[in-house]
Amino acid sequence: MSEPMNAENKGAIARFLAAPPDTVSKTLFVAIAVCLVASMIVSTAAVILRPTQEANKLRDKQINILQVAGLYDPAIDISDAFEAFEPRVLDLESGEFTDAFDPATFDDIAAADDPELSRALEDDPASIGRQSRFRTVYLLRDDAGALDKVILPLHGYGLWSTLYGFIAVEKNGNDIFGLQFYSHAETPGLGAEVDNPRWKSQWNGKRLRDEAGTLQITVAKTAPPAGADYHIDALAGATLTTAGVDNLVKFWMGEEGYARFLDKLQAGEF
Amino acid sequence: MAQTKRELLVDPLFDNNPITLQVLGVCSALAVTSSLKVAFVMSLAVIFVTSFSSMFISILRNQIPSSIRIIVQMVIIASLVILVDQILKAYAFEISKTLSVFVGLIITNCIVMGRAEAFAMSNPPVASFLDGIGNGLGYGVILMIVGVIRELFGSGSLFGITILETVNNGGWYVPNGMLLLPPSAFFIIGLLIWGFRTLKPEHVEARDFKIQTVEEH
Amino acid sequence: MGLRSFFDRIEPNFTKGGKFEKLFPVYEMVESFLYTPKAVTSVAPHARSYVDMKRIMTYVVIATIPSILWGMINTGFQANSALAMMGDAIGTGAATGWRIAILDLFGISLDPASYFGNFAHGFLYFLPIYLTTLVVGGIWEVIFATVRGHEVNEGFLVTSMLYTLILPASAPLWQVALGISFGVVIGKEVFGGTGKNFLNPALVGRAFLYFAYPASMSGDAVWTPVDGFSGATALGVSAAEGVQALAGRGITWMDAFLGTIQGSFGETSTLAIALGLVFLLVTKIANWRLIVGCMAGMMAFSGLLNLIGSDTNPMFAMPWYWHLVLGGYAFGLVFMVTEPVSASHTNTGRYIYGALIGVMVVLIRVVNPAFPEGMMLAILFGNVFAPLIDHFVVQANIKRRARRHV
Repeated sequence: MSEPMNAENKGAIARFLAAPPDTVSKTLFVAIAVCLVASMIVSTAAVILRPTQEANKLRDKQINILQVAGLYDPAIDISDAFEAFEPRVLDLESGEFTDAFDPATFDDIAAADDPELSRALEDDPASIGRQSRFRTVYLLRDDAGALDKVILPLHGYGLWSTLYGFIAVEKNGNDIFGLQFYSHAETPGLGAEVDNPRWKSQWNGKRLRDEAGTLQITVAKTAPPAGADYHIDALAGATLTTAGVDNLVKFWMGEEGYARFLDKLQAGEF
Repeated sequence: MAQTKRELLVDPLFDNNPITLQVLGVCSALAVTSSLKVAFVMSLAVIFVTSFSSMFISILRNQIPSSIRIIVQMVIIASLVILVDQILKAYAFEISKTLSVFVGLIITNCIVMGRAEAFAMSNPPVASFLDGIGNGLGYGVILMIVGVIRELFGSGSLFGITILETVNNGGWYVPNGMLLLPPSAFFIIGLLIWGFRTLKPEHVEARDFKIQTVEEH
Repeated sequence: MGLRSFFDRIEPNFTKGGKFEKLFPVYEMVESFLYTPKAVTSVAPHARSYVDMKRIMTYVVIATIPSILWGMINTGFQANSALAMMGDAIGTGAATGWRIAILDLFGISLDPASYFGNFAHGFLYFLPIYLTTLVVGGIWEVIFATVRGHEVNEGFLVTSMLYTLILPASAPLWQVALGISFGVVIGKEVFGGTGKNFLNPALVGRAFLYFAYPASMSGDAVWTPVDGFSGATALGVSAAEGVQALAGRGITWMDAFLGTIQGSFGETSTLAIALGLVFLLVTKIANWRLIVGCMAGMMAFSGLLNLIGSDTNPMFAMPWYWHLVLGGYAFGLVFMVTEPVSASHTNTGRYIYGALIGVMVVLIRVVNPAFPEGMMLAILFGNVFAPLIDHFVVQANIKRRARRHV
């Protein structure tokens, strides 16, 4: 393939290139050179693209929050629209906000693995193992600055996977505005119908607790005794995903979850 | 290896398709074809990686020591794959969420390694580049065919645009849930291979053994 | 012998060189269905037996008759009971449609206490599904037989009957057609037709429907073909609430054994299936080793799980005699596990093959939350392993003999 070269007429580099590739020195040289060039290209790309990637992740989360609050529209500027939300870190035990963490950087999913910030659940209907004592919630204020809705994160196990989502609750602390999962791996066509807009639209206007303050919201085939205001229809053919959603909503809206925060919200403390 | 440029590009589409004839790269074909959009981006990524890795390897082919040639090929392929993954994460975030794992697995896609080892190591850069594009396209064609079948009959849409209104959304079409599960791609690729071999009997390889039949007298 | 001479007269049209040469398989199918084949073996070795493929297949169909009859009665019974419970008289509520119109025309009552009424109602559900299966599956058989130049095989009669019997009565006909197409083509013909299929084609078709259209193949609403009525299968109830919850629903073990419960056409009555089993064992169509292996595997493994126990999963506590009568276990055991082509072919292998299915069915039923019915998947799993089991049995035998002759 390579033409016969006259070594004396060439420089040192050309002589090196023309040498047979299987010598030890050339093997080392090629290995080092290829690795060096490759790692430079890869790390340059990673460094240059990192800010865009981080922005994408943030934007993705913001879109999910906007969607559950019913404010999402592909035409709007996401970060502008997100200005309306105020992220706060909530202490679940007291139901009060805490300033011990910066809501912009606090990662409550990671905090669930930190023994300082979380606890192991004994009674664990949502099958999440450990629960962070702090969660980042988002307060949506109207134009006048008054509280309009709160967006609360929740998660729990369905049939095959943990479902991660947000629930939007009205300022009275009892009316549901919407629910949306942003990450799950349920069966396509059955459990994955949690993403079906027709199913999700049921949540709008439903109530969490009855007059006596008992948690009544139920996801099931038949309405609970408390009535249709507290009933979300089951997903057809997906008994176990339905049970999972029912469990995780009950868990997060109950005593182990946001109950005290919702109490305070209902009492109009915020 | 006296193939024309056109042959390098067109042959792998049907006559020497990497999936249906060589049965390579099937794993990712199973995983990413339930949505056409994802399959399309995956095809582009594979075309990019095969063509450029073949080209770079071909440029270096006289310098690569044979004792470490597989490692050198892997380093080049892996760098290109990481590059693709980073770009997708930055500019096609939605798709990269579902595709990220499989983009990483392009490194192990036998088509890429196969072309590097079988073609690029012994052919000039331009031919290798075209051969890479051709094989990437051959992979992409099959991905598209499987993707169309799976998305159309599995979710009633193409590229996310509803074609057949499904029952759950108030329409008439009852989607075939099996097509959304990865094993269905096995059946579809199997049927495609069957079809290709019926059209082109020269694809059928010789039998390993023959079932004896008693001759009638 | 008018018919015989008719066949003799038209036969030259179909043999080599005739006008309809290509359609010979169709001619052969109809002729050999009516008459004993004329062709006899002409070269050695001569195996002499009265049992040929046609007879085996006919016997299996005969063995399913009790299940078919009971399937119709029970389907009608479930439908009529549901209508009675919902208070729908003829022409009102869910009691509308062509079946009701036909029953009304002949003055057949919808009273669930009337066996004939139940039978007639159930028959009207069974017939369309069975006919669809026969016609669509038959078309595929004929196409492949014509293209490949082999004969249409009686095996299809068995496949179509078994396939119908493992469907729920409310199955939409277009899904029935798709399922049998998949079963015949992918489950059998791509591997070369009857005798070369390593999977049971009826189960392949059923599994296709199960994964493709789970909403019409599983759940609570599909077993009784009455709109708006939903009743879980006894197996489904056990999976959710434990086997003792069945008593609360008025289901005793005897009900499950006799078959007055929800389920696919042919699988509800263990008694009817047992009659079929006796017939198959007496005629030696079914190999008893498969039955013994499968029963032993199921009993041993469910016994083991009973001992282990579980606080959260009530299925752990389900005893073997309930596993036997619920779901598709009995039907699969008698008609699918014993299918000679897809089972192991060595005697030792048959015990292992049976036991593997017995263990798998309990494992899937108990441990997997998504599929309370494990028999279908367990048998397909066993089918896939059958050649491997045979291979090891044969290798072990070769080794044993080699040692003896050192």
